[in-house]
Amino acid sequence: MGNKIKIQIKDLWFYYKAGPILENIHVGIPENTITSITGPSGQGKSSFLMTLNRIWQNIDGASVKGEVKINFGNGFKDINYPNYPLPQLRKKVGMVFQVPNPLPTSIYKNIAFPLKLIGEKNRKKIFPKIEYALKKAFLWEEVKDRLKEDANVLSVGQQQRLCIARALVLEPQILMLDEPTSSLDETSLEMIEQLLLKLKKKCTIILVSHYMDQIKRIADKKLVLSNRQLKQQEEEDPLKKKIDTPL
Amino acid sequence: MEKSFQDRLLVMFSWGCALLLFTGLMVIVGFLVVKGYRTINLALIFGDTRPLDAFLLRQQVFGGLFPAIIGTISLILLSIGFALPMGLASGLYLAEYAQPRLKLFFSLMVDILAGIPSIVVGLFGFSITIFLHHSFSNRIFPCLLISALSLAFLVLPYIIKTTQNAIESLPLQVRLTAPSLGATQLENIIFVLLPSALSDIVSGIVLAIGRCAEDTAVIMLTGVVATAGIPKSVFSNFEALPFYIYYIASEYSDQSELMKGYGAAIILLVICSGLFALAHWVKLQIDPKTQFSY
Repeated sequence: MGNKIKIQIKDLWFYYKAGPILENIHVGIPENTITSITGPSGQGKSSFLMTLNRIWQNIDGASVKGEVKINFGNGFKDINYPNYPLPQLRKKVGMVFQVPNPLPTSIYKNIAFPLKLIGEKNRKKIFPKIEYALKKAFLWEEVKDRLKEDANVLSVGQQQRLCIARALVLEPQILMLDEPTSSLDETSLEMIEQLLLKLKKKCTIILVSHYMDQIKRIADKKLVLSNRQLKQQEEEDPLKKKIDTPL
Repeated sequence: MEKSFQDRLLVMFSWGCALLLFTGLMVIVGFLVVKGYRTINLALIFGDTRPLDAFLLRQQVFGGLFPAIIGTISLILLSIGFALPMGLASGLYLAEYAQPRLKLFFSLMVDILAGIPSIVVGLFGFSITIFLHHSFSNRIFPCLLISALSLAFLVLPYIIKTTQNAIESLPLQVRLTAPSLGATQLENIIFVLLPSALSDIVSGIVLAIGRCAEDTAVIMLTGVVATAGIPKSVFSNFEALPFYIYYIASEYSDQSELMKGYGAAIILLVICSGLFALAHWVKLQIDPKTQFSY
């Protein structure tokens, strides 16, 4: 196996209101790979992502039981431990939503927002980080002359890349994307796939997607969520080989 | 597709209602203007005093509406000044912090508060004044401050409700954006939730302003008088346009005084419209949805 495990999940249950959405999930997610999650809609793929940065705590009626251990470089720690510092967790586990959600402010301020949250005030330090994140998300060339413009004037594809750039500006170790290409055209879709392939060298990526061909193109580990269970996807041999080759 | 009979009926009914409403409004405004337009001049506002002297408080205005206008405006500013921070904070608490049961309880309380008639609020303010007068200092009398506090009580529910609803109706996507980037709950409220909900909150503030401007019952019991001049401090009596109108309507001695009442009504209408227009303008300025509407 080429890759160490980054996230180790044991006996994880997710409940919404009274009913369980996820039951007894056991899975390990390897470092520096793209792990895809597919499955019928409404079965809890987004809920699964929410258990990895504990954002479910911001949703009324959601609750979680079980272990989610993540190794951020200093050994596996269970993020469901009550005192686990959430802001720090969420800075290391970036999340990109299905529908782009730029803040109602300028392009610049959108990317600067996470930096503002960590207390970075020095503009000289902020600007290179913004440039870096936008370049990584293949958006720099399109917006470099209009950083002061409102983020809502961008096309949906650009907005999605803006949200990816915003998630990247703090250099997260894990990046979760919830059907990031579902509202995009062919070109933006390709751009984002290229971006993910490049990103995985530095980052562990978890991608929820409906597109089987997209998964075939870029995913290293393929999971299927159905009937509240998360399972390895049945594989054809050549693809399986691809996981085992070191990256 | 051919419209069904019910569809047509509904459309006709809607048009009818809109027309009725518009006609009603026009009749009221038209009536006021026709009756009162002749009285609208500088003398109505400033009496015999030169406007500049009145503004600079060099000379008292007698026989003009200037003190009542200033009274009404100070009353609105003070009341909103008290009610806004409290209402915003309470609305935020209900939307973001309150546990479900407490939320139910406090929401019910706010609804009850919204249902209290203004005359009762006025009596409450009056009773408090009497209580303070007897127990603390016999220099405490009904005054601008007590009127403003009572009015703030009256308009608080509007601001609480609109703040709560505006924040609760933000889509989940928006609510989760900042936390998913590592924001604390407070940072989320300050940087994302409040700014996103602000233009809706302004609607509640507009309602509150209107209520402060037109209310007569509360101030009648808590400090307004027919002649007081411009209030010297928040502890003095004051004049207000709605009370002036009420007073003239019930006790006018001749035709010219009645005409001044109409004039006062028009001025009150203009002040309210001006404040609404200002609030609407602020709303347009801060609403991200309307800034790039193409």
